[in-house]
Formats: sequence, structure tokens, C-alpha cells
Amino acid sequence: MSQPTPLVQPLLLQFQQLFFISKIVGVLPQDLDKFRHKNMLEKSRNGMFYMLGVLSVYVVLYNLLIYSFGEEDRTLKASQSTLTFVIGLFLTYIGLIMMATDQLTALFNQGQLGELYERIRVVDERLYREECLLDNSCIAKRIRIMLIMTFIFEISILVATYINLVDYTQWLSLLWIVSAVPTFINTLDKIWFAVSLYALKERFEAINATLEDLVMEHEKYKTWLSGNDATTATVGNRTTDHPPQSSPPPQYDSNLEYLYKELGGIDVGSLRGSGSKNRNKVAPIAHSMNSFGESIPTPYKPQRMNTNPMINMAHESELSNATKVEEKLNNLCQVHDEICEIGKAMNGLWSYPILSLMAYGFLIFTAQLYFLYCATQFQSIPSLFRSAKNPFITVIVLVYTSGKCIYLIYLSWKTSLASKRTGISLHKCGVVADDNLLYEIVNHLSLKLLNHSVDFSACGFFTLDMETLYGVSGGITSYLIILIQFNLAAQQAKDAIQSFNSFNDTAGFVGAATEMDNESSTLYDMVTTTMMSPTY
Amino acid sequence: MSPNTWVIEMNSHKSRLFTHPQAHPRSQLSNDAFARRAVSNDNPVFEDISTILSVLKASGLLPFYEQLSSYEVGPPSKTNEFYSFFVRGVVHALTIFNIYSLITPNSAQLFFSLRETDNVNQWIELLLCIFTYTLTVFVCARNTKSMLEIMNEILKLDKEVLRQFGVVLSNNCNFSVKFLVVIVCCQAYIMVLRIYAVKGAITPTSYILIAFYAFQNGLTATYIVFASALLRIVCIRFHFVNQLLNAFTYVQQQKLAKKSRRQPPVSNMEHFPEDSLFIYRTHNKLLRIYKSINECCSLIIVCFLGYSFYTVTTNWYNLFVQITNNKGIISAHILQWCLAWLCLHTSLLALLSRSCGATTYEANSTSQILARVYGKSKEFQNIIDKFLTKSIKQEVQFTAYGFFAIDNSTLFKIFSAVTTYLVILIQFKQLEDSKLEEQVQNEV
Repeated sequence: MSQPTPLVQPLLLQFQQLFFISKIVGVLPQDLDKFRHKNMLEKSRNGMFYMLGVLSVYVVLYNLLIYSFGEEDRTLKASQSTLTFVIGLFLTYIGLIMMATDQLTALFNQGQLGELYERIRVVDERLYREECLLDNSCIAKRIRIMLIMTFIFEISILVATYINLVDYTQWLSLLWIVSAVPTFINTLDKIWFAVSLYALKERFEAINATLEDLVMEHEKYKTWLSGNDATTATVGNRTTDHPPQSSPPPQYDSNLEYLYKELGGIDVGSLRGSGSKNRNKVAPIAHSMNSFGESIPTPYKPQRMNTNPMINMAHESELSNATKVEEKLNNLCQVHDEICEIGKAMNGLWSYPILSLMAYGFLIFTAQLYFLYCATQFQSIPSLFRSAKNPFITVIVLVYTSGKCIYLIYLSWKTSLASKRTGISLHKCGVVADDNLLYEIVNHLSLKLLNHSVDFSACGFFTLDMETLYGVSGGITSYLIILIQFNLAAQQAKDAIQSFNSFNDTAGFVGAATEMDNESSTLYDMVTTTMMSPTY
Repeated sequence: MSPNTWVIEMNSHKSRLFTHPQAHPRSQLSNDAFARRAVSNDNPVFEDISTILSVLKASGLLPFYEQLSSYEVGPPSKTNEFYSFFVRGVVHALTIFNIYSLITPNSAQLFFSLRETDNVNQWIELLLCIFTYTLTVFVCARNTKSMLEIMNEILKLDKEVLRQFGVVLSNNCNFSVKFLVVIVCCQAYIMVLRIYAVKGAITPTSYILIAFYAFQNGLTATYIVFASALLRIVCIRFHFVNQLLNAFTYVQQQKLAKKSRRQPPVSNMEHFPEDSLFIYRTHNKLLRIYKSINECCSLIIVCFLGYSFYTVTTNWYNLFVQITNNKGIISAHILQWCLAWLCLHTSLLALLSRSCGATTYEANSTSQILARVYGKSKEFQNIIDKFLTKSIKQEVQFTAYGFFAIDNSTLFKIFSAVTTYLVILIQFKQLEDSKLEEQVQNEV
């Protein structure tokens, strides 16, 4: 079995660009040389130190950013209590937390990630042996598209915010670039996950396609058989001469007989209800003439048979030979199980990053929308969320953030659907072959398939499927409604006080000003307090 | 917490798989650390959770059962039964007394808070606690027999495992003692805080009220820990079954084949029919035990979850209110109080949901592991198919009295509900506060 090994391209070959970028930016610590030469992810001590260094640099720079841009918030902070200050910090630091989670998990999992891709390679080999071919080239394309999308989104957000909303006369404003780092690193990490997940999905689909191919072949074979049968009947009548038909291979005889019997049974059941056994021999011929002879022209079949008889025969024998196909189906089932296990392992590796990403997505989505509302009402918003001042940039940010989350959820959902589809494809095999022995095998294997579960979840707290997406969107909507309603209520209270103050001329404008200041700070308190609480 | 630490003697079992079954289980046992315990006849059953058992026995929640042999327990003797009965009577009497003193102004000095809503909160909390504990006592009194049955079932299963495989399953329930310590510490601390917070001389009624409140809380929590320990015990047995089955999966078979390539191929599949019979039987028994534990505890657990949810929400709220009040005076007393409550209830909730989740996971993974067994002959396939067919519609869950299933996601749901309530409550509070301030300023 060492022969086909080099024939299977390792999946990691497609990841080269992504790996170089992630290595430079500090998403993955694995060894660069080993990857370049052997396409393997191996542990590397230097990479670990490099990554830790990069991480600490990012943390320092990000803190510097918050410090230098937080001056505008200082007036807000002064009026705040300690707790809301802490919560505000949480909201600003969630990006950093997410990035640190990604990088630290990558550090801890650096050995296991390599094993994961090694397991995928073994699966590929087994699939190759089962004549189930995979095309990995579209994965490279996918990675490229994702990388380009990431760059476009990041740069457009960064540049638009920098030009529109940052005071770029100051030298320190260049620090604003750092604000894009956490999301960028997070996206790179998630591209690894998404593409690997996509590869798993492709493998599931390849298994399904193989099974469907078996069905197709068998259907063709059946039509050919019946057509052949019909033509031989006519041949017998007309005494015309077709060399391939005159000498049918002897191994088909038993199958033919079986098919006759089976077709006869159907025919008798559907047409006559009860027919004599003697007529069964005749009935299938008439029936097959009716059902197949009309739709498929008879001269087509001999021609097709002449062009590629070998392929036809080789595939035909697969589903009609139960013992032979059992081996293949068993192997496919085992590969399916192995892929499910790989999926689980992958989910385990990325469970904390996914949890943090979902928390980040939920928080940022709600915060951004709420601050957009605040900005339209000319209220003060935290300086790190200044992109909410411009609706256009907000839309880009929202699309980018939600795109990441939704794509991951969608892909996980699709993958588990694809894994569940295998059972259906397997049953098609059983139905089309209509053989007792094969039915038993199919029943046995489909029971097994039923117990191969691959559900993607974030630390077991919630599964990644469309239901969760629906729940999250519902959560965002209800939080927004609550927040905006309270904002409106506070606004009304403020108006009442203003009217009271204008009525009370002696109070003067100073009082009103302080009043307004207080009001906005309580609003800010409310928002920040709220934002902290839903941790996903 | 890795699953391998739960079952200690797996090695001896694996070695058995290469030898003939039931050939030398005793001789393998002799070099175990557990051999002494297994052979000696009068070791107490459930040694791992004996502390918690004795606490529950003393408080009348569990009967003082007689130990008939090292693998069987019998019903309690007459005097012990009377003792449990007596304790329960005392508890009920105290409860009635407490409710009476809560209604009369005797307990007024305990409700000293500044705001009216806080007092109402404390009242509700107190009543919930009393309700939960009274329910626990009633349910436990009713379920005495089924509890003993569960214990006997578990012990019988252990005995069978020992006979068949020469394996003593360890329970690894050390966490129960730790939790007991945490509960006692938290309750004692809260009691002390309470006593210090009361101004003036404390009447004996208040002392009784405070002490009994702590007692009730502690025992309810202890019962939850006990339920988790039972679940853990079941979980370990499920895990053992799964490990047993895992040796037959195709992955393990391939490994074996690789190892014994030089030697004549030794396949352990020939033991599969007999072992699978044992595995199926054990799995069924475990499921039955699991279900009966669920029936025994679920009402108490529902009540506890409700109580816990309420306590966690109010304490978080109090904590926020304390920290966000702009006067800058953070009362250390209330802070400690809230933190103690939160620590206790959060850890209990986490423990409960984790042990339920782990047991459900282990129970469900049996069929998944079995799906990985590929038998060559029809006979094997039929054996496998039977179990898999049986387990299709068999939903293994630990439900809270049928309301919802308890697992890791329950923890998540509870905390997201708590945060939602907090958001609403805090916003109302801040709105209220700002209006109050305006009024004050306007008056000035």
C-alpha cells in the first residue's frame, strides 16, 4: 500500500500562503522549514517564543492605543463609578481577549494540529484506495478568496475610519492601525478552521458521491440489462445479428434471472395483482419494453456497450456482487466514522476560540448598532467605537463581523448535514440493488451511520447550527429594543429637566449643562453595564 | 478530571483481553493496590462518599441502612428508623416555628436593610429556602426504599464486574468532601456575617432563625452534592462499559493486528459475543439506575434550581447596586455576603450540570462506540444491530422533573437568563436613581 501514498496530495499543500502569512503575523507557532519541505506542521520552540513575543508586542501596543485615544473618554470616566469603568474596559478589551485566546490556544494545540492534518491525509489515502477522488485545488482558491476578502474589509474599515474620524494631524494617530490587529489575527485563525471544515465537508460529499455513483452505475446496468433483454427478445423474433448481445458474459445469467424474477414480481403486483408463475417469464419482457424501451432508444444501448464495455462491466459487478461491495461499503463507513472523529477533534481544538468569537460577535454587533443609534442622536460614544459615527463604515464592520460568525455556523451546519446525508445515499444503494444480502448490509451499516454524530458546539454550551443563529439574532434584537427604549426614556427625562430649567431662569445654563453631562454619563453607564452581561 | 483517572484498574482488564476470560482474575487482582479492599469482607460500601452519607444520615435525609455484606445493604433497623423519623419531626417542628416567628414581629431585627425591596427579597429567599428544604425532607422520606434499591443495584453491578473481570471500580468521589467543606465554610461565614450585621442584642429567636436557615441551606446543598456523587458513580460505570467495548472497535483491532503481525494473528473478537452480552446487560442496568436516580432527585433538583436561580440573580443585582452607587461607599459586609452566596450556588450549579452532562455523554457514547465495531460474520452483525436498533429511540437524559434536560447547556441557559434579568433590573434601577437625583436637585 506504499504505492498510492505519494499519489495523495497532502491537504496542507493548499495552505502554503495562509501558513506563511499566519506564521509572520504570529497566529501559528509551527516550524516554517518543515512545512515548506515536508508539508507538515511540527512543533517549534522558536516559533513559540516568536509568537509569545508578537503577542506581548500587540498587547503593549493595544494598551498604548487605548491610553492615547482614551483621553476623550476621560471626562466620561471621571463621572463614572469604578464598576462601569471596569465594564467599559471589558468592552474595549474583548477584541484583545479574543486575539489572546486564539494565539494561546494555537500555542497549546501546536502538536495536535499537525496530527489532525496527518489524520486527514490518512483518510485521503483510504478514500483514494476506494476510488473516491478528491479535488483539493478549490481549497487553495477558497483560501485566496478569503484572504483577499479579509484584506479588503480590514483595510477599508481602517482607512475609512482613519481618514474620516481620526485626527491625523497628530503623530500618535498612527497607533490607530493597531486597532485592526486583533480582528485580523482572529480572522486568519478562523480561516484555518473554516477551510479545514470545508475540507471535511468535501470528504463527506465525496463519500456520498461515490455511493451515488454506485447507484447510477447500477441503474444504467439495469436499464442496459432490460434493454438488452428486450433486444434479444426482438432479436429472437427478427433474427438480426448483434455480436455483443449474442454472447452475453456468463456471470450475468444469474443476475439476469434474479432481475427477471424481481421485475416480474413488480409487474405482477402492479399490473395484474395475481399472475401465474408461468407468465412471469414473459411479463418482464413486455414490461421492460414499456417502461424503458420507449424512453431510451434501443439502438443506443448496443452502441454504448461497444464503446466502453470494460468500464461498464467493471462497475456493474460492484453492486450486484454483494460480498464484494460489502468490503467497499464497510470501508466507506469506517472512513466516514474517521472523518466524524476528525471533525470532533477539530471542534475540540477550536472550541475556546469559537466561544470567544461568538461572544465577541454578539457584543460588538449589539454595541455597534446601539452606538450608531446614539451617534444619530448626537450623544457621546466611547472613542474606540468611533466607527459607529459613520453609517457606511458601520455597515462594513457589521458585515465583516457577522460574516465571520455566520460563515462558521453555516459551514458547521452544512458539514453535519453532509455527514447525515451519507445514510440516504447508502439506502439508495440498497433500494436500487434490491438484493436481500445487500439489504442486510445496508441496514447494518446505516445503523452504524446513525450513530456517527458530528455536531459542532462551542464548549458544549450551544451547538453551531441555524437554530443558534436564529437565537442569537433574536437576542441582539431584543437587547437593542431594551437599550433603545431606555435611551428614549432617559431622553424624555432630560427634556423634562431642560424645560424645567428653562422655566426656572434663575438656575441658568450652567445647571442645565451639568445636568446634561450627568445624563449622558448615566446612559453610558447603562450601555456599558449591559454590554458586559451577555457573554455570547 | 480526565476520564482515565476515574477507572483505575483498566490495565488488568486489558491484559485479560489477551488471555482467556475468567482464567486468572484473582491472581491479577493480587498485585493490585485494591486487592485488600476487594477481598476483605467487611469494608464499608461507598467508602468514597461515606462522609457525605453520614451527614445525610444524621440529618434524617437518608436511612441508617444495615450493611448485610460487602455488596449488599439492607433496610434500617427499628431504632435507626425511629431516629430518622424523630429527626424529620424535629425539622418540621422547627420549620413551623420559624414560619411563625417570621410572621410575628420577633424576627424584625433581622430585616434591617435600608430599602423596602431588599427586605422583600430576603423574605422570598428565606421562604424559598424553607420550601426547598421541606420538600427535600418529604421527598427523601418517601424515596427511602428506592434509594436503598439504587444502592443495591449499584453494588450488585460492582459485584458482577468483579466476578467477571476482576476489576474493582473506584468511585473517585473526592470532590464530595471538598464541596462539603466549601458548603460548611460558606454557610458558617454567612452566619457570622449575619450575626455581626444585626444591631443591638440578638434575641434567641433570631439565633434559632439564623442557625436553622444556615442548616437548611447547607443540607439542601449537601443533597445536591450527593446526587452529583451518585451520578458520578454511574458515569464511571458507563465509562467502564465503554472502555470494554472500545477494545473491539476497528481502530483497536487494526492496532492489534499491527502489533501481532509477526506472531500468529490473535483476534479478541472471539470473546465478543459473551462480552457484548455482559456489556448490554450492564448498560441496561445502568440506564435503569440512572432513570431511578433521576426519579428520586428530580423534584428536589427542580426546586433547588429555582432557588439557586433566584439567589444568584438577587445577589448579582445586589453586588451591582453596591458597586455602582455613586456615593463611593461600598459596604464590605454586603460584598462578602453576596460573594459567599454566589460562590456557593455557582459551584453547585456547575457541579450538577457537569456531572449530569458527563453521565449523559457517557451513556450516549456507548452506541457510538458500538457503531465502530465491525464484525466479520453475520452473527456479530446481528448482535450489534440489535443494540443499535434498541438505542435509536432511547433518549438518555437527566431531566428536571421533565421540564428540561440538565447538561452543560443548562448552565449556559441559566446564566444567560440571569444576565437578561440583570440588564433589565439594573437599567430600571439607574433610571430610578437618576430621577431621584433630579428631584433632589430640583428641590434644592
